[in-house]
Amino acid sequence: MRYNKITDEIVAGLKNIVGPSNVVLDPEKLGVYAGDEVPEAEWKHLPEVVVKPENAEQVAEVIKLANREMIPVTPRGAGTGLAAGAVPMLGGIVLSLEKMNRILEIDKENLFMVVEPGVTTGEVQQRAQEEGYFYAGDPCSADSSFIGGNVATNAGGNKAVKYGTTSRHIYGMEVVTPTGEITTLGGKCVKSSTGYDLVHLLVGSEGTLGIVTKVYLKLLPRPLHNAVLLVPFADMQTAIDIVPKIMTNGGIIPTSIEFMDNLCIKSAEGYLNRTLPYGDAGAYIIIEVEAYTESQLEADFETIGNICLENGGLEVFVGDNKSSQEKIWKARRYLAEALRVTSPVYCMEDIVVPVSNIPRVLAEISQIAEKYSVKIPCFGHAGDGNIHACLLKGNMDDAAWYAVKEKVLDEMYTVTHTHGGKLSGEHGIGAKRKKFMARFTDPVQLKMIKAIKKALDPNLILNPDKVIDVD
Amino acid sequence: MNIVALVKQVPGTDNVKMNPETGTMVRTGKDNVINPLDENALTEALRIKQQTTGTTVTAVSMGPQTAEKALKEAIALGADEGILLSSRAFAGADTIATARVLAAAVKKLENVSMILCGERATDGETGQTGPMVAAMLGIPVVTFVKEINVGENTAIVIRIVENGYEKVEIPYPFMATVVKDINEPGFPTLSGKVQARETLVKVWSEEELGLPKNELGLTGSPTRVVKIFSPKLARDTRILKHDGSGNAVGILVKLLQEKKRNCIKGCGK
Amino acid sequence: MNTQAYKGVMVIAELVDNQIHQTTYELLNWGRGLADKLGCDLSCAVLGSDVRGLNEIIYRGADKVYNVNSPSLEKFLAKPFTSALTRLIAEEKPEIIVAAATTTGRTIMPMAAAELGTGLTADCTVLDIDPEEKILLQTRPAIGGNIMATIKTPRHRPQMATVRPRSTRQAGRDSSRRGEIIEKKYEPVLFSTSEKFIEFIIDTTQNVNIQDADIVVAGGKGLKNRDGFKLVEELAGVLGAGVGASREAVDLGWVSYPHQIGLSGKTVAPKLYVAVGISGKIQHLAGMQTAEFVVAINNDPDAQIFKVADVGIVGDAWEVVPEFVDAIKKIKACA
Repeated sequence: MRYNKITDEIVAGLKNIVGPSNVVLDPEKLGVYAGDEVPEAEWKHLPEVVVKPENAEQVAEVIKLANREMIPVTPRGAGTGLAAGAVPMLGGIVLSLEKMNRILEIDKENLFMVVEPGVTTGEVQQRAQEEGYFYAGDPCSADSSFIGGNVATNAGGNKAVKYGTTSRHIYGMEVVTPTGEITTLGGKCVKSSTGYDLVHLLVGSEGTLGIVTKVYLKLLPRPLHNAVLLVPFADMQTAIDIVPKIMTNGGIIPTSIEFMDNLCIKSAEGYLNRTLPYGDAGAYIIIEVEAYTESQLEADFETIGNICLENGGLEVFVGDNKSSQEKIWKARRYLAEALRVTSPVYCMEDIVVPVSNIPRVLAEISQIAEKYSVKIPCFGHAGDGNIHACLLKGNMDDAAWYAVKEKVLDEMYTVTHTHGGKLSGEHGIGAKRKKFMARFTDPVQLKMIKAIKKALDPNLILNPDKVIDVD
Repeated sequence: MNIVALVKQVPGTDNVKMNPETGTMVRTGKDNVINPLDENALTEALRIKQQTTGTTVTAVSMGPQTAEKALKEAIALGADEGILLSSRAFAGADTIATARVLAAAVKKLENVSMILCGERATDGETGQTGPMVAAMLGIPVVTFVKEINVGENTAIVIRIVENGYEKVEIPYPFMATVVKDINEPGFPTLSGKVQARETLVKVWSEEELGLPKNELGLTGSPTRVVKIFSPKLARDTRILKHDGSGNAVGILVKLLQEKKRNCIKGCGK
Repeated sequence: MNTQAYKGVMVIAELVDNQIHQTTYELLNWGRGLADKLGCDLSCAVLGSDVRGLNEIIYRGADKVYNVNSPSLEKFLAKPFTSALTRLIAEEKPEIIVAAATTTGRTIMPMAAAELGTGLTADCTVLDIDPEEKILLQTRPAIGGNIMATIKTPRHRPQMATVRPRSTRQAGRDSSRRGEIIEKKYEPVLFSTSEKFIEFIIDTTQNVNIQDADIVVAGGKGLKNRDGFKLVEELAGVLGAGVGASREAVDLGWVSYPHQIGLSGKTVAPKLYVAVGISGKIQHLAGMQTAEFVVAINNDPDAQIFKVADVGIVGDAWEVVPEFVDAIKKIKACA
């Protein structure tokens, strides 16, 4: 066994570093840190101890101690992950960043916000807005997720079509390395061709290459007006075909282009207890556009709406004020909850494929669903090819569920891979998809990833058992 | 049949924020919407329009120039026409001074068979304007309506009261104030939006309505707000953590059994 | 307008099935207080059909009862009730008129105010007399309960207000009190109307009218689904309480609209209010914050509802509520 167990001495050492009140040993309280939002028991594991450092120096000291004593350290944000990335699969220390939750600076001259990792994404958005700016990162869990976790998973969300994923908004970070050194990568420079881009090596590294203790976030001018369109289509192919047309024929990059298949529409109707317009449609597309003037907004949504109508849209509904927008988004936003009501246990995937392949992949997923007699409602981000395929357990017993899940996932990933796609668009690999990562990644790339991990984390202390197995 | 839907523009209230120093509401004009219950009223008018040929729906709103947006939204949802009642003289009106203007507008529209509005608005929350307009027009009114079935000369409506429902038959013309149970408002369509942009919203002031200025706005309002203050919201909260020991519920139950509250009665022991 | 021509305080009796409802005694409590401050008579208008037990109104503080008795007032229709009320006001000229903010009060008071061209303040929670001007001060929550506004009617008479049920206690009873019952027989044509009352349909989904209930147990979105909401119904069952709900719970179809509490629903002021899985948006608080004692159960320690609660339990409703139910059952069984 590579790692050691936590001893009383180690606990004393940790208390010495972060203070006794920031060390959690109470078994009941440890339960909170055993998992993330992946519901199944196989992705829960109790840590031996939780520490809550309050600054980068304390983080560094904890890491040094862990290296000396050979204890695994699992960094943790808000625990809203969907890949079991923050689960301490091997026990050891969970290093929770919940106490490092300050907004440190709003730099209006350079348009940056500097924050600690434990600030929620929602707070960043809100604060930016209060100051008259806009933070474009917007994962669907924004209300609860931490910025640190967004960086670790390269979180995406609804607005990635126009603004990209989290990596696009991160220009610098202070990081504690796996050996316990503190350094600042990048910063407030907008350009940099100065050596390796370590900032973006760390973004999406799921806590395996360092612990982010400070983040430099880019702020943008705030778009003043927005509108949301809801467009039902007879079938998914026609619906997805609209995506490139909006950008090429229309010359407009919407903020979001989301889709829902009919299973999702029906779930939303059931959950919201109302009939949605064209509820029998094969697919819904929800498009959000932003503009700096009202007339520009009107012109844009009219252009997009007309393209939809000319290309098979059954109707175009427009929400250009708060109440109508709320009503449209509601169907999409409550979807995860709606599916959970249908089936409390489910397996939510976030495969990503080139946009044009969405219909093909969805068609093959529905064949898989048929083959195994399961339900796999699909929704997600049409504008960036990110598909949330949601395998429902329904009233299957546990044994059947595990058997079917393995087969379905295997086939689903194979389909994805065949169509030029990737396992995860925004949730990450974590522990949950590690097995598949090894299978569906080019061996040369695997070699590079392992070499980087070994070079930075020689003792393999940081978030072990995630993403790939190193030896 | 001609139906008038009275719509009020209100601040979107889902995120009402208060300025703690001044005790006033922080309003941003951008988030203004049609009063939700007025949207139900409009939706009901549009539903009846679809059901009965030759029906027109006119949306009427009293408010500042910016309330034109609410009327445009009403047209986008399917109203045939929007009329904005706007004038400096209307500013500061209480419910009765507002009702005077609305009643005058309905009179001017002629041949109106039905007037619909929300049972109350989310900002003022008085629920008085509808019945007042009806009284001024001398037509019957049904309040808190959750269902309207239109017939040839009368409509059968169901209203919600404290312990049930009342079914009433009412001849045209009449006024009904509706509750949200009555229907589920739809979404405006793109063609509706284009229609709204191309439709001119008429603006009527006291001149078009033939109303004397002294009966309008603040001058014509019998009531005066003399004081505004923040309510004492906070209580002396006792927080108990539910930790599985049963203590939290135990303490709660003891508190509820205290004589002054006497919320849970045993057999008298 | 000659404001001096108007004298006395009048309250409008709240009737249910032509029987005096307890809200009437709350109105009498408000009215007595106002009349004493003004040094004038308190009268009570009864608009109904053969209403019995009018002496009770006198025992509860009225000096005069105006019994407007007509078979036309057996069932509620807006116009005949308003006609009767405006006629009575024209005859008796009270300076203050107070009715309950119920479906009846909120219909006939605005109509009467419009016909009389006077002011009306809806849904007051406090009524008082300005000590200098000797006029009515009407205080009501506004903007979803975010602020309180005090309103007066300086130059018009009568001064009219509806008050929220349960905004005060019921007037005490003194059976030695004496007063006058004045029968008002109006010509039938006064009550004529083109509306027709067809039928009353009792709401079988709610066994207790939540606005009358001493205890209300309300559930919100935190209960996750319809099954979760059953916890609330069960708790209400053992407490003998009315079932309330937040807007979200109603929107999601877990319970029907008449149970909705808050800005776009009902206002309740029970002795005990138990909020389960309700976050406490200001719109909801507006409908329940005057409850005497508030218990909140929520797993989010930062939930707004705790700010208006007397006791807050931080915990999972699925665990807390069954425990609570068991504890109550034990007490009721005297175990």
